[in-house]
Amino acid sequence: MKNVFMVFIGLIFSGLVANAQTHVVEGHVTSSDGSPLIGITVQVKGSSIATATDAKGDFKLNVNPNATLVFTGIGFEEQSVNIGDRSEVNVSMASSTQKLSEVVVTGYSTSTKEAFTGSAKVVSGEQLNKKDISNVSQALAGEIAGVQVINTSGQPGTSATIRIRGIGSVNGNRDPLYVVDGVAYSGTLSSINPSDIASITVLKDAAATAIYGVDGSNGVIVITTKNGRSKESFIEVDAKYGSNKSLLPRYSVLTSPEEFIALAWEGLYNEGVITGDPNPTSYANENLFSDAGISPNNNIWTVTNGADLIDPATRTVKAGISRKYNPERWEDYAFQPSNRTEINVKMGGGDSKTNYYSSFGYLKDNGYSINSDFKRFTARLNLNHQVKSWLKTDMNINYSNGTTNNNGQESNSNSVFWFVDNIPPIYPLFKRDSTGSKIADPIFGGYQYDYGNTGRKFGSLTNAIADAHYNTLLTKINELSGNTSITINFTKDLSLQNRLGVQYYNQDYWELTNKFYGSAAGQNGSIFQQKDELLNLNLLNMLRYAHRFNEHNVEVLAAHEATNFKLTESSASGYNLVSNNSLELDNAIVKNPTSSSYANTNKLESYFAQLNYDYNNTYYLSATVRRDGSSRFIAGNAWGTFGAVGLGWEMTRMNFMQNQNVVEYLKLKASYGVIGDQSGLGYYPGYDHIDIGNLNDNPSFGVPVPGNPNLTWETSKMSQVGVEFRLGNYLTGSVDYYIKNTDNLIFDRRIGPSNGYALITVNDGQLRNQGIEFDLTAHLIKKANFFLDLGVNGEHFSNEITTMPIDPSTSKPKNIDNQSPYGWSKGHSIYDFYIRNFAGVDPADGTSTWTVYYHDDNNNKAFDDGEGVSDLEAYYGSNPDKKGTLLKGITKAYSEATQYYVGKSAIPKIRGAFNLNTGFKGLVLSAQLLYSVGGYSYDGAYAVLMNNDLIGGNNWSTDIRKRWQKEGDITNVPRISNNADARVNSTSSRFITEASYLVLNNVRLAYSIPEKILKNQNVAKQITVFISGDNLWLKSARNGFNPSTAESGASDMYRYSPLSTISVGLNAKF
Amino acid sequence: MKLKYIIPFSIIGAVLVTGCKKDFLKTEPTSFVTPEQLGDASRQDPKLLNGSISGLYTTMFTTGVGGTTGHDDFGQKGIDIYSDMLSSDMVLGALNYGWYSDIARYQATVDFTTNEDYIPWRYYYRQVFGANAIIDILGGTDAVPETVPLKQTMGQAKAMRAYGYFYLSQLYATDYGDGTAKILPIYTTSDIAKANQPKSTAKEVWDLMISDLQTAITYLDGFQRTSKDQVDQNVAKGLLAYVLAARGTQEDWAEVATLCADIKNAYPKTTAGEVVYNGTNLNEAGFNNAATPSWMWGVDLTLAQGLDLVSWWGQVDLFTYSYAWAGDPKTIDEGLYNKIRTDDIRKGQFDPPNGGAEPEYAADGYAPGDFDYMPINKFYDPGRTPGGQRQVVTDYLYMRADEFYLMYAEAEAYLGHDDEARQALSSYLSDRITDVSYIDNLSGQQLKDEINLQTRIELWGEGKSYLVMKRDKATITRGPNHLFFDGDSFQYNDPKLTFLIPQAEELNNPNLNK
Repeated sequence: MKNVFMVFIGLIFSGLVANAQTHVVEGHVTSSDGSPLIGITVQVKGSSIATATDAKGDFKLNVNPNATLVFTGIGFEEQSVNIGDRSEVNVSMASSTQKLSEVVVTGYSTSTKEAFTGSAKVVSGEQLNKKDISNVSQALAGEIAGVQVINTSGQPGTSATIRIRGIGSVNGNRDPLYVVDGVAYSGTLSSINPSDIASITVLKDAAATAIYGVDGSNGVIVITTKNGRSKESFIEVDAKYGSNKSLLPRYSVLTSPEEFIALAWEGLYNEGVITGDPNPTSYANENLFSDAGISPNNNIWTVTNGADLIDPATRTVKAGISRKYNPERWEDYAFQPSNRTEINVKMGGGDSKTNYYSSFGYLKDNGYSINSDFKRFTARLNLNHQVKSWLKTDMNINYSNGTTNNNGQESNSNSVFWFVDNIPPIYPLFKRDSTGSKIADPIFGGYQYDYGNTGRKFGSLTNAIADAHYNTLLTKINELSGNTSITINFTKDLSLQNRLGVQYYNQDYWELTNKFYGSAAGQNGSIFQQKDELLNLNLLNMLRYAHRFNEHNVEVLAAHEATNFKLTESSASGYNLVSNNSLELDNAIVKNPTSSSYANTNKLESYFAQLNYDYNNTYYLSATVRRDGSSRFIAGNAWGTFGAVGLGWEMTRMNFMQNQNVVEYLKLKASYGVIGDQSGLGYYPGYDHIDIGNLNDNPSFGVPVPGNPNLTWETSKMSQVGVEFRLGNYLTGSVDYYIKNTDNLIFDRRIGPSNGYALITVNDGQLRNQGIEFDLTAHLIKKANFFLDLGVNGEHFSNEITTMPIDPSTSKPKNIDNQSPYGWSKGHSIYDFYIRNFAGVDPADGTSTWTVYYHDDNNNKAFDDGEGVSDLEAYYGSNPDKKGTLLKGITKAYSEATQYYVGKSAIPKIRGAFNLNTGFKGLVLSAQLLYSVGGYSYDGAYAVLMNNDLIGGNNWSTDIRKRWQKEGDITNVPRISNNADARVNSTSSRFITEASYLVLNNVRLAYSIPEKILKNQNVAKQITVFISGDNLWLKSARNGFNPSTAESGASDMYRYSPLSTISVGLNAKF
Repeated sequence: MKLKYIIPFSIIGAVLVTGCKKDFLKTEPTSFVTPEQLGDASRQDPKLLNGSISGLYTTMFTTGVGGTTGHDDFGQKGIDIYSDMLSSDMVLGALNYGWYSDIARYQATVDFTTNEDYIPWRYYYRQVFGANAIIDILGGTDAVPETVPLKQTMGQAKAMRAYGYFYLSQLYATDYGDGTAKILPIYTTSDIAKANQPKSTAKEVWDLMISDLQTAITYLDGFQRTSKDQVDQNVAKGLLAYVLAARGTQEDWAEVATLCADIKNAYPKTTAGEVVYNGTNLNEAGFNNAATPSWMWGVDLTLAQGLDLVSWWGQVDLFTYSYAWAGDPKTIDEGLYNKIRTDDIRKGQFDPPNGGAEPEYAADGYAPGDFDYMPINKFYDPGRTPGGQRQVVTDYLYMRADEFYLMYAEAEAYLGHDDEARQALSSYLSDRITDVSYIDNLSGQQLKDEINLQTRIELWGEGKSYLVMKRDKATITRGPNHLFFDGDSFQYNDPKLTFLIPQAEELNNPNLNK
């Protein structure tokens, strides 16, 4: 009682004193990098007089002379300043080691982690640049719970596919929105130099993304580049040198020509048995080297027929048979030693009115596959200037010049990877003369490549390695992006911002097919050229009002935004070349009349408003409303209204939490919002599409493909609850749970092709993603010279179609949409396997069997003709009374087998990353492991390697050694029979493979030279040297199968398996 | 003081805010046209309306119109290869890339999941949809257009609709039977509201085709087409002859005879010089020129169409950058080849076993045997360089008068007018076979069989022998050079010889079997 009284007296007294003698102190609070800090509590020591910094980091307080101000903020070291008689106090806050408080850049405003009611994770530029990657999207792997980074190709510079919180749409857009320095970004990600990035913030829930409206429904990736604010002028140099390698395992395939030819013989033998040949051995012997088998031209042995080559008893090559020559291993010539060089020079600095950051970057990244590389020059200038007290300008500009060679990567016989993994080992890389000798090439030097025009049954008339050497596939891009803005402060609280954002690029693509060898030799070489020009303009006008009324902190903004996207593409081609090197069309004697040019446009217009409010830095509210219009939809359907509300409660500021020291920090948050998406469609989906053709030089309008004028916004309704916490000094973390229901799905509804078209895009059906994400960091050791942090993040999510689109011909939701190997139906995810079930190999004859469900009409408990069900869900849909009455049998005819849900899904149980950081004195070691557990994927590339094609048509996996060979063999690999058994490796459950994996994504050891040594040398202020490795190791169910390279985990025989990089480097600051 | 600066900025801002015009969000495509754009353009330039009907003809040779990216998906001529192989007169001589191996092996036709079942279904129904879209613009199936040009457009659209249903009826049903079997869904409008129709009976399908073609013949009277890719009255008559012959009542054959006689009067047959390359007539022969007088329906392909490997020439012609050149040769059935009389010039269309053109190409690495049975003197790019023609400008043949010279004889034979049939056949063959006197001894079934044989020989590789097989209810026997089933015989109604309605239709048309 007494205490309460004393406090009361004290309050009155201090209030009186304040009224009597105080003077006003103003100030600006920044973080150590100079950015303003919002919500820092400024309190007069020993009193309750306090305020918090506003959105610009400013504060104002009435104080007594000689008072001491205490600056506190979560995540920063407390700081006390005696003000003496000063009226201005500027403070730079040092981050506390917990580093929980991060500035969350939300594009239109900034917030702190505490004040932010949504889910966002900030990844610092420093963390991103631990990885030696050439495209910033790849650097996000493993950093954020619920963010899946899919590295689809080893081609240097490739953008990764990113998925945030499950699978957002069925046929519509699943990509996140990228925002660079506040502006929605349509340029290429590869034009951004990762070393210019100050931070990337990934926004996940509705409260966070709603302000972006359009296309924010799959998450937003906000990239913020560096500035020179409040920094002493500096020069910083990074230099990295590395080596790119193919370290991840490839498929294990046959490498011995003898083993291969013996299997080929066996295939013919089995074919003879199947077709009833009276003497299968002689059938195989005669046909082994023939038009029906392997061309005699590809017989590398010194004997001429199967009888002399193969011992029919052991079915192997007879002892003592010699080869005419040794065919090369294609892999040895497909891959090259390759290196990666990166140099960045960065300069910056600033005073109270002006600051700047500029950089120049050079990168040369050579892929391990021949003639695949990426080269980039970048230059950036970020400039901010306070022109008048009421007028501020900001300008960011980035120029990038990129050059890409991507030979040998098409999804056809041009693919180097297809050749390496699939060509039978009997075929040589270099052409041989009749004596088996290589033939000198008079044109390019070296030896002539074998284009397989003498009967090679794999990729005949092509040679992907030769093509990669002799042809050109070159892309050059010049790209300029940036934004400029003017901010007028009408009063301290009210401002108007005009901002223009621009992304522009001009990209040239050349394809020169050489005039001497390969596909264009017959026309004396050919050239194809394509030019793309992008101009994306974004105009924003925004009014902002921010004010603190005692404990009530309010920010309101209202804005109009318009975007005009235009991508123009033109192409032309010609043939009969003069020079084999000049890429320009005038080098072609004949120009083709099929030249083309067109433009695609997308315009967007939006009005939006946001309210951010907090009470006493304890209760937070954020509300957004946004109205968007898109040109993709025909008038009447163009506009949609979206919005979100977020709430936060920082419990640790409550009185009842003050008397414990276990939970240092605890915030609860919840949000709900509705967000639209329009980008997963063509540019003009509302219109019927009529192709313009040329017939006798007159117009010819193709058969119309119906559009759907009723199409409109796909909408996601997202709700989430989450918690952020810090326990003691040792554990920080967050856990979020979300449900995302997507309505009005953009859905390609299939109809009977007898209608004249096969599908029509509609807004129908509903999809639900729900999941839980966690992100935990344990600070295991925290000593002056030694620290050890261990982090783990992960997500578990489910995906379910909750409503199928209506089939207008029945007026009911469609039972099943067969998307082999998946089926789409109510209650299932879009990656649930709906497939024919492989039921094993018949030990009697070695043929495949598949499961068939049948209605046993004649009650004989056996599957008979006409009783089979080909599509179980569709059958149940039209015969609901038959559920549970069908019998299960097996069939040997693939087409009779039933397609049904085999109970496996490509969605993992849990996936995420482990992050280790440890340091001792100047040494820092970090490592990142990516994991995914559970789920199954379709290994189609392996299916091809387990083929029963015509012999010589494809190589086999070493697993073919387990094939059925004689009656009674128990195995899961059917006999090989020169394709006499059809459908042996057709889509079925046989190739569904466990998709769990573990990847060692990054390891880095860095050493910073102690400052005291540098001080004496007067060379540099800071020097760090490092060695690092990226993508070093992968463990999956099968060598060669890398489920982390596709959204569904499915393999692809043409894929450029991601490369591994080992680098050394140096960073110096002067 | 400050205010005077702020105001101009604010005004600029306000102008920018309201700067978006009312129609800011309206954008239009430029890589294709919409019906609205076409309507606007046609008001200024009414000639453009011809472009719609022309689109049906372009669709006939466009790649991917069967809804796949397969190199066997390029419209009518791709399906001609299917049917020529099903009827076994065209042999897949070796396998390398393997296109058509499922057809040659009869694996595709018995498995409704294959693309081979899907491609013709998708293509012909696409044509039906395109024809219906034009018919709807002209007022619908029952409307009578008011002007002559509109009637001519309607006539072409109806003929193309019948063309679509005719091939569907041949490929997806074994035969006409008694007309009661339900075979195909019928669509007579492009109205999306009438989607997913159930199967109709053979009688309903034939009635629609006959009615459409009769209307077309009436409307196309006097129509002077500007190029041979268009359907004119004689093409419509030819299509009707095929439709009636496929049903084959006596009344039908009588009408077929009349229709064929009309066509014979209008077109000459293909001359001996045009039929086979003999070393001197490089530019006359080759079946590569739509201007050939006997060609009734075909298309003059130019660089503008941009066809290359994915084309009929890219599959069949040794002298094109083709699969035939790359190791999947398309050859004549040895049994059929052996039936070509030695005094028949058409025997020279095919490279003979033990001899032929290979020595001329020894420098390119070819050895005797490499071209055996390939049609290198019937169909060829005039360059005659193996793998030479990179962009296809050799033309497509859809219909030529010879079909009706032969069908005339066939009709007369079916009507029991053997004298007339013999005379027609002898007269037709007189410049192909030195001694045609053997024909005088044929009558009844023997005569029909000889007409059937001569039709298959004359029209080898033109997509006709399957149609002949079906209407003659023939049994085919595979020659020894087939890779699969050599020596085996198949009746015309064997399930292996007729496509199955594809899985995509069964899955996505819930009304199909109602």
